[in-house]
Amino acid sequence: MERLHLGEFEELVLLTVGVLYEDAYAVAITKEISHQSKRSVNVSAVHKSLYRLEEKGMLKSHLGEAEAKRGGKRKRLFSITPVGKKALDDSMELRTKLRNQIPDMAFNWKIS
Amino acid sequence: MEPSKQIPKLAHKFFKWYCRGDRYEELHGDIEEFFYDRIEEKGLRKAQWLYLMDVLRGCQSYAWKNNNGQFHSKFNHLIMLKNYFKTSLRSMMRNPLSSFINIFGLSMSIGICLVVYAFMDYQYSIDQHHEHKNEVYLVTFYVDKEGETLQYGKSPVMLAETLKLDYPQISKTSRVEDRNVVVKYKNKVFHEEVRYVDPEFLEMFTFPLKWGEPSSLQGLNNIIISAEMSEKYFADVNPIGYDLMLKFGDDIKKTFTITGVAEPFPDAHQISFDFLINFSNFGYTHPEIDFKDWYKLVDATFVQIENPTDVALIHAGMDKYRDLVNSTNNDWEMLSFQFEQLATLFDRSQYISESITYNYDEAGRITLPILGLFMLVLGCFNYINIAIVSASKRLKEIGVRKSIGASKMATVIQFLSENILVTSFALLVGIFLAVSLFLPWFIGISQMRLSLNFGDENLWLFVIALTLITGVISGLYPAFYISKFQTVHIFKGVVKFGQKNLLTKVFLCVQLMLASILIISAVTFTQNTDFQTTRDWGYDQHNVLYLKLPDVSAFPEFKDLLAQNPNILSLAGSAHHLGHQVDYDIIQTPERRYEVRLMSVEPEYFETMKLRLLEGTTFNAHYESDKRMVLVNESFINNLNITDAVGHTFKVDSIKYEITGVIQDFHIYSFYDKIRPTYFTLADTDKLSYISMRVKPGSSYDTYNALREEWATFFPETPFLGGHQADVWGADYYEMEANQGDFVRAVALIAVLLATMGFYGLVTLNVSGRVREFSIRKVLGAGLKNIAGIITKQYLALLMVAILIGIPTGFFLVESLLNLLYEYPMPMNHSIWLLSVVILVSILFLVVLTQVKKLAKSNPVEGLKVE
Repeated sequence: MERLHLGEFEELVLLTVGVLYEDAYAVAITKEISHQSKRSVNVSAVHKSLYRLEEKGMLKSHLGEAEAKRGGKRKRLFSITPVGKKALDDSMELRTKLRNQIPDMAFNWKIS
Repeated sequence: MEPSKQIPKLAHKFFKWYCRGDRYEELHGDIEEFFYDRIEEKGLRKAQWLYLMDVLRGCQSYAWKNNNGQFHSKFNHLIMLKNYFKTSLRSMMRNPLSSFINIFGLSMSIGICLVVYAFMDYQYSIDQHHEHKNEVYLVTFYVDKEGETLQYGKSPVMLAETLKLDYPQISKTSRVEDRNVVVKYKNKVFHEEVRYVDPEFLEMFTFPLKWGEPSSLQGLNNIIISAEMSEKYFADVNPIGYDLMLKFGDDIKKTFTITGVAEPFPDAHQISFDFLINFSNFGYTHPEIDFKDWYKLVDATFVQIENPTDVALIHAGMDKYRDLVNSTNNDWEMLSFQFEQLATLFDRSQYISESITYNYDEAGRITLPILGLFMLVLGCFNYINIAIVSASKRLKEIGVRKSIGASKMATVIQFLSENILVTSFALLVGIFLAVSLFLPWFIGISQMRLSLNFGDENLWLFVIALTLITGVISGLYPAFYISKFQTVHIFKGVVKFGQKNLLTKVFLCVQLMLASILIISAVTFTQNTDFQTTRDWGYDQHNVLYLKLPDVSAFPEFKDLLAQNPNILSLAGSAHHLGHQVDYDIIQTPERRYEVRLMSVEPEYFETMKLRLLEGTTFNAHYESDKRMVLVNESFINNLNITDAVGHTFKVDSIKYEITGVIQDFHIYSFYDKIRPTYFTLADTDKLSYISMRVKPGSSYDTYNALREEWATFFPETPFLGGHQADVWGADYYEMEANQGDFVRAVALIAVLLATMGFYGLVTLNVSGRVREFSIRKVLGAGLKNIAGIITKQYLALLMVAILIGIPTGFFLVESLLNLLYEYPMPMNHSIWLLSVVILVSILFLVVLTQVKKLAKSNPVEGLKVE
C-alpha cells in the first residue's frame, strides 16, 4: 500500500483530535492549535483538514448534542481511527529515524 | 432554530447558498460559536466582520454542494464551459500548426495594434497637460502670398499689450520669442536657445516648478530653467540663486540669477523651454528692434480668454489691428487674424507656417492606424479561414454534441468561447511582443518617447475591446457556419466543405492583396532610401567645412589664419549659408510680387561650394561695380518667366539689379523643403559671419580638429560653431531616412509572414483533406508535376485576382504616400511592381512546393489508409 501521506497542518489537526479525545470538534481544535502552537488558525482550514482526514479514513465522526452557544446546532465530534494512529506513528517514526541519523558533527558549530 | 439577528444577513445567505445541506448544521454551528465568543471578546462590530471573513474563507470545496447534489443544475453552464475549454485545448494540441498560425498571427496583429495605440495616444496627448488648454489661444494670421492664402503662427509684437488694454475679457497674454545665445556657468559654455516670455506665461501654461517661484519671472534679472538644463549645468545640485551669464550678441552680455527649475516636461509635449527670461529683456538685448512698429513680428502671442463666447467678439474686432499692420508694410497683405485654441493647436499646426508647434508625424498618423487595421484583418482572416477548413475535422464532434441535445446556440457559444480563449491567449503573447519587441524597436527608429502605461484605463478599454472585437469577428462566422449543419447530414457524410467555400477564397484573396500592397511599399521605400541618400544636393557637400563666427569683426583675421592651412583648398566668407541661413526678399514686377530667397556671399563661394554655373559669369573679385550684379537659380528664371536671363534686370526696394549668371537649382535645406527662387548678391564685407572651406579629400576630419583648436584660442568665450557641410541637414538625417525604410520593410515582412502562414495553413489543410485523392493519383501514375499543378490551379485564379487588384492599388497608394512625405518624391518605376510580383509569387510557390515535397515522400498506401 502506498504510504499514508500527512500534510504538516493535517498532522497537527490529527494530533489535536487525539489530545482532545472526547471533545474533538472544529472550534475546540482550532482554539487548541492556536493556543499550543501560538499561531493564528482559521476554522475553515481546520474544517478542510478534518473532512480530508475523514475521507482518508484516519478520522471517524458522529454528530453530538445540540447546544445553545452554537445557536442550537449540533456539532460534529471526531475521533482517531487505527489508520489514523498508524499514519501518526509512521510519521513520528520517520522523523525520529531521520533525527537520529544526523551526526553530532552537524550540530557542532564553531565560530570560524 | 434561526440564527441570531446579530449575524450579518447577506453573509449568512451566501453561506447557505454555497454550503451543502448535510454539512450546514455542523459548519455553521462552528462559525456561530466563534461569532458569539467574539462578541464578548471583541465587540459586535468586529465579530460581524470576522464572521464575514469566515464565510468567505469557508467557501471551499469541502463545503460546496457535491456533484450528485443540486450543484450540477445550478452550474450547468460553467461545467459546459469547462468542457468546451477542454475540447478547445485538445483540438489545439491536435493541430499544433494551425493553432500556432492562429495564435501567432493574432498576437502579431495585436502587438502591432498596441504599438499603434501607443503612438496615437502619444500624438493625441501632446500639449494636453495644460490646465488652461481650452482658454489659451495662439494668435495667428492669414496672408495672401502669390495668390495662396497661408496661415502664419507669428504675430505683431505690438498686439499682446494692445489687446490687453482694449479687451478686459482677455485675462492674460504672453509674447514668446526664441533666440540663440551662449550660456556660461563657470567652465561650462554652450550654445543654447533662450525663450523670452511675459511673466504670465507660467500661469497660462502648466509647467510646475521643482524648485523656485513662477512669479519670479517678473524680475528682469531672473531666469527659469528646465529640469534638463539644470541637470546639464548643475547635475543634481539645486541651482536656485546661482548666476548664469548669457551672451546675446557680439558684445551684449547679461548675468541672470536662477529663480526656478521646472519639473521634467511630460513625454508628449511640443511647447516647452530650456531657459525662460522676461520679455522686457528683448529690448535690451536687441536694441535695434522698434517695439512700436506693427510690422515687427514675434514668434508667438498667446492670449487667455476665460469665457469662450468672448472669443468671437474679440475676433470680430481684430480687423483694426490688421489695418494697422497693413498700413505699415508693403511686402505682404494680412487678410485677417485667427485664434487657435491650445488644445487643438498641435493637431492644426501642420497648416500653420512658422508655428510654435510643428507636426512632423502627419503621415504616421494616417498610415499607422491603417497598418494596424491591415494587420488585424490579416490575423483575423487567417483565423477564420483555418477555423472553417479545420472544422471539417471536427464535424463528428459537432454531430455528437448536437445529437445528444446541444442546441444551435450552444454550438455557437462553444465556438465563440473557444475563440475568446484563443484570442485571450494571443492577447497575452501580443502584449508581450509589443512591450518587449515592437515598442522598443519602434522607439528606436522613431525617437519618440512612446510608452504603454498599463495603469491607464483607456489602454485596458482598448485591449478589452480589441480582444472582444477580434474574438467575436473572427469567431462569429465560423461559429454560425459550423453550427448550422444538420446532424444527419454530418453522419451521412454528405457535408463537404472547406475547399469550395467562397468566403475562404475571398478572405485569402484580400490577404494576398494586403500582402502585395505592403510588399510594394517595402520595395518602394527600400529604393527610396537609396534614392534619397544618393540624390544630388545641387552642389558638392562633401569635403566642405563651415563655421559661424560669433563676431563679424574677427572675420579678416580669422580668414587669414585659415588661409595658411595647407589642407584648405579654397575658402569663402558669406553672410548667409547653405543649410543654415538665408534671407527673404520681395521682388516687385509690374504684374505681381514674388517672395524670393537671398544669399549674400563672397565671389569664391561658388567655387568653394561647387555650385554649378549654367550660363553667364560669377562675380568678379569684390568690384564695387558688381554690387548691382546678381546670380540667380533656375527656379528664379522659371518662376519669373524670364527669357534671356543674363542681362535681365529686376528691382528690389527700388534698387535695380542685373542678372549676370544662372546657377543650377540646389537644395538649401533638406529634400523636404521646396526649392524656391533664390538670388545671390555680393556680400558687404562687414556682414561676413560664415566661412566655408573646401578641403583636400580625406582631410576633413583633421582639418575640422585643427579648426576647433584655432577657434579655442581665438574665441575662448564661445563654444565652437561649425561642422561638416554634409551634416547641415542634421547628423541623423540619413539615418532617419534609413529608419523609415527599415520600418516599412519590417511591417511588410510581418504582413507577408502573416499572409504566408495563412496560405500555408490553408494549403496544408487542403492537401491533408485530399490525401486519399492524391494517393490514388500517385498510384495511378501521376507525377509530382501533375499533383503540383492540381494544387496550384486551385489558387492560381485567386492569386491572379489578388495581384491584379493589389499591385495597382499598392502602386497608387505608395505613390500618394511618397508625394505626401516628400517635396521631391522618387519617381515610381516598373521595377517596383515587377519585383513585388516576383517576391509574392515565389513565396507562394515555395509554400506549395513544401506540400508537394511532403506528398512526394509519403507512401501512397499510407495515404489510402487514412480514415
